Amino acid sequence: MVGEAHVSMIPTTPKKVWSANVNGHAVQALAPSNAILLDVLRDEVGMLGVKRGCDLGTCGCCTVLVNGEPRLSCLCLAGQVEGDEITTVEGLSEGAHLAPIQTCFATHGGSQCGFCTPGFLMAAEALLDSNPEPTREEISCAIDGNLCRCTGYQQIIDSIEAAAEIKRGDAPAPTPASNPHPNPHPEGPDQPSMPPGHAR
Amino acid sequence: MSGGYRQQPGASRGTTRKDGKRVAGKQKFPPPGSGGSHPNMAPRDLDWIPESVGGNEPQPAGSHIHDRYRTGTSVGKPRALVDSHAKVTGQAWYGDDVRLPNEIIGKILRSPHHYAKIKSIDTSKVEALPGVLAVATGQDAPNTFGVLPVTKDEHAMAVEKVRHVGDLVACVAAIDEATAMEALNLFEIEWEVLEPVFDPKKGLEDQDEPIHWRGKYHVGKTNVQKRVFQEFGDRSLVEEPSASSHGKWRMEGVHHGFTEPHAVVAHWDPNGRLQLYTPQQVPHYAHRALSTVLEVPMHQINVIRTFVGGGFGGKSDPFPHEMCAAILARKAGRPVRINFSREEVYWINRGRHPSHIEVKMTADEDARISGFDIDALIDGGGFASFGHVTSYYNGVLATAPYELGSFHYTGARVWTNKPASGAMRGHGAVNTRCAVEVGLDEMAEQLEVDPIDLRLANLLPPHSRTISGFRITSNGMREALERVRKGSNWDQKFRQMPLGKGIGIGCGFFISGSGLPIHWDPNRFPHATVHMQIDMDGGVTVHTGAADIGQGSTTAVAQVVSEVLALPIEMIHVRSHESDTSPVDLGSYSSRVTFMNANAAIRAALDIREKLLNAAWEMIGYHPDVLVLNDRRIYYKHDPAVGVSYLEALHKAQEDKGSLIASGAYRSPPMGGVHKGAAAGLAPAYSFSAYVAEVDVDVETGLISCTDVWAAHDCGKALNPLAVEGQIIGSCHMGLGQVLSEKMVYGRTGHLQNPNLLEYKIPSIHEMPNVTPIIVESSDPEGPFGAKEAGEGPLLPILPAVVNAVYDAIGVRIRELPLTPDVVWKAVSAKTKSLDGIDSTDLPAPRLTHGPLQATLVERGNEHKARDKKRQRSEDTSAYVNGVLFGFDPERPMEDQVEGWRTAVEPNPEQLAELGLAGKAWLKQEQRQMGGEQ
Repeated sequence: MVGEAHVSMIPTTPKKVWSANVNGHAVQALAPSNAILLDVLRDEVGMLGVKRGCDLGTCGCCTVLVNGEPRLSCLCLAGQVEGDEITTVEGLSEGAHLAPIQTCFATHGGSQCGFCTPGFLMAAEALLDSNPEPTREEISCAIDGNLCRCTGYQQIIDSIEAAAEIKRGDAPAPTPASNPHPNPHPEGPDQPSMPPGHAR
Repeated sequence: MSGGYRQQPGASRGTTRKDGKRVAGKQKFPPPGSGGSHPNMAPRDLDWIPESVGGNEPQPAGSHIHDRYRTGTSVGKPRALVDSHAKVTGQAWYGDDVRLPNEIIGKILRSPHHYAKIKSIDTSKVEALPGVLAVATGQDAPNTFGVLPVTKDEHAMAVEKVRHVGDLVACVAAIDEATAMEALNLFEIEWEVLEPVFDPKKGLEDQDEPIHWRGKYHVGKTNVQKRVFQEFGDRSLVEEPSASSHGKWRMEGVHHGFTEPHAVVAHWDPNGRLQLYTPQQVPHYAHRALSTVLEVPMHQINVIRTFVGGGFGGKSDPFPHEMCAAILARKAGRPVRINFSREEVYWINRGRHPSHIEVKMTADEDARISGFDIDALIDGGGFASFGHVTSYYNGVLATAPYELGSFHYTGARVWTNKPASGAMRGHGAVNTRCAVEVGLDEMAEQLEVDPIDLRLANLLPPHSRTISGFRITSNGMREALERVRKGSNWDQKFRQMPLGKGIGIGCGFFISGSGLPIHWDPNRFPHATVHMQIDMDGGVTVHTGAADIGQGSTTAVAQVVSEVLALPIEMIHVRSHESDTSPVDLGSYSSRVTFMNANAAIRAALDIREKLLNAAWEMIGYHPDVLVLNDRRIYYKHDPAVGVSYLEALHKAQEDKGSLIASGAYRSPPMGGVHKGAAAGLAPAYSFSAYVAEVDVDVETGLISCTDVWAAHDCGKALNPLAVEGQIIGSCHMGLGQVLSEKMVYGRTGHLQNPNLLEYKIPSIHEMPNVTPIIVESSDPEGPFGAKEAGEGPLLPILPAVVNAVYDAIGVRIRELPLTPDVVWKAVSAKTKSLDGIDSTDLPAPRLTHGPLQATLVERGNEHKARDKKRQRSEDTSAYVNGVLFGFDPERPMEDQVEGWRTAVEPNPEQLAELGLAGKAWLKQEQRQMGGEQ
């Protein structure tokens, strides 16, 4: 607060170009060399799905995948991941197709207020990529760095279990009772049957 | 869908080409006009239509007035939240995600002192810093505000003095965050530091400089913000009890711990209207407060509720930082965004009150509960917030679900120089509920009876009145107790497990919507209003002010509309974000949203339904009484081929009028007594719950781990069982945090020691027990399709269930929350010392041999079960008021029952000497009685 002598908060570090591959696209952003990855992703790259909960690495809301590994973007300098592949929650779905983990969080109650959801999704996605058949205990360990205040975690574990089944192909992807959105490619994303004007 | 009826000719034809590709524009979801994704009507789903109207859905609790509007479309089916796709794709926009062009960043200067007068603030250096665009201090907004109209004691920024460390002093907006942070260092402030008060007990004494001054209503010169005295029933019953429990509790303050820190964006648009984006549970109160503080009429302010990243009561006050953003934006002429750090979240607090609670309970020779005597001293922190109500809730919400011989409550809320306490999930009821339920456990032990049987033999029946005059309607307490008893295998475990393993029971009782809207006369204006509009495309737009904070209220509203109109839920679009478009609504607190808004939505939907049926009547000639609404089609009951599609009926109804519009409102019925404070705790319905918790206690370290919870909650009717279960499990999580690990730690110097999520210990996934949610449906006559709340009530029973389970495990009663290992270890050490210093691993685990009263209680419980069933199903509609168990005649008013019965809101002079801690607040007089300031 009020101090006799203080260090100026205004950074003197000049901005420089930061580049990385975010969600499959090469991006460049101007950021000071001491910029935090979370800030760069949210403010410069525009990935607002990466949530800021605590800035201390305690809540896990800002989890992103760096080269497939979950990482807390609030505890990571942007410079540390320069040139790496970064996946945020925006990169999970394929066009209008939600990833199984996303669908299951919706249908199994894994998301209530939704603020912690992106972090859980990323941690869960990393788990399922490396372990297609996790036990409930393994799921717990994979997401124990994430806090959720709404769900009490139980339905989150249910969601991840269900997603694992779908991902393995043991269960069909759930189809909603009636689908509000036209599926732009009913035969799968590889079939080029997009209606005109529908952005991929 | 096979076997259905075609909605619209041609809707599904020609949508694919010969090569198998779909034709652009002819999507699976048909073009505007046909309404729905399937060309054919789905068959009527009898499994989701109640028995009373010819379906297969069982109704053990009897029929409901809304049964005839059930179409089997949505109600009762587990459903994903309607906004869940926004949440899982990262597109949900929370406070910090609102980015407006040209925005600048606001920061708040916070007080470094607990309690100090501001003699002067010099902002010249701040203003001179390049990049600073606006500076504001308390002088810019001298008007007070507060969430309750009776206690407006907050300013946007401190005007005369700061009241806690972290209190707002000034704010600044700059081109970026770093500049704004730098600017905070340049304020020059002259302080006069005052003597702070941290201990609420000290707050009861006269001070030189009370934290607030209430003029003629001020109690002496103390820091007492509110004092309550209530006494009901016959106090002579408590003399010579056959069992009694006397417990003094100390509960620490806890915080909501929502994951989203507060954030706000303010923007004065080119027309001079304020557009304020904020994650608010109660946008309407913020709207009112903004108008007062900014001196701008309400119609020139548009409060936009962003997605709310968790509320739990912590985002229901109008907040000073919302005013700051608006003031800065007005000065700078640019949009201003203020984001809180996690530490600032704790400075604004509004969490559960740190409490000293003393409970004396007695039971008579028939194991009837002859008296509850509660004294609650609660630490309000620097501001009033919801404290006026909390002071009442600490007592009055303990008057059920048991039948009491007498009830005596003294409560006081005291201002201290700490961040303000406020409303948090289970508002005011949680701490006393814990104390009372543990007391019952203790009395059951003295009476040598099973604590569940003691409860079952003392429950108020459905359709009765509590000792304080609350109207109980549906009541699923008995079923909840029976189901957790069975589910947990209670009879094989209780008092039979080895040392270190224990099982405990706790019950809960909570309001489903507050009976009084605090800003207006409930006899003239409704609690909730919902607007509905259907245009030619057939989609239903619902406008409501219900604030979805993750509990799924938007989904609930969409579900009931979908149910009444028999439309797929995707055709219902709920608009609830903007105060410009939504009717005034009280927002998400008191567990009111589903109950009141869904009721209002049903009424609006019924209006539309009637218009559609009348149109169909005109078209096919059958009276609405013999028409059936089912999945986008209206047809003759006895021949589904004779009918019209929803759209045909809709277009008929729209002839000459254009889009169909309807408005529905909900108003609670007149209720309650006339004594002072009678309105506190009044609700159109009450929820009930019973939990059994199983714990492992390490007697050597004091570490408790809760392993299993069987959680039964009476929510009337689960509109969305998935969401109800989520609420129950989530409540367990939050309650477990309070009972086992969470506390706001204030050091000896009064500083908050743990304003972060590292040291404020929210249970992680490894601390969560296996929760078995059990939904009890008692079908409330006034609830929408029978529903009651499920958001707050489920939190209450977990605390006492765990505390009682710990006693069952180690035979030590601990009355200090949270039960951290050091607290448990200290209690264990004291116990082993009293037993001649035996090793803690040799502690005797408590055992129970049923006494002679057990059989009496079981018999009485069974009699009452038969009575309750009749009353629940309205086969017995006689009046029942609390006291019948003690031989009172329910047909006569409570006051002239027997001599000694009284309703009092002020202590007798002779009572003054024997009042408890909070009761001491009554030793002082108000200023007006002392001839003081007018």
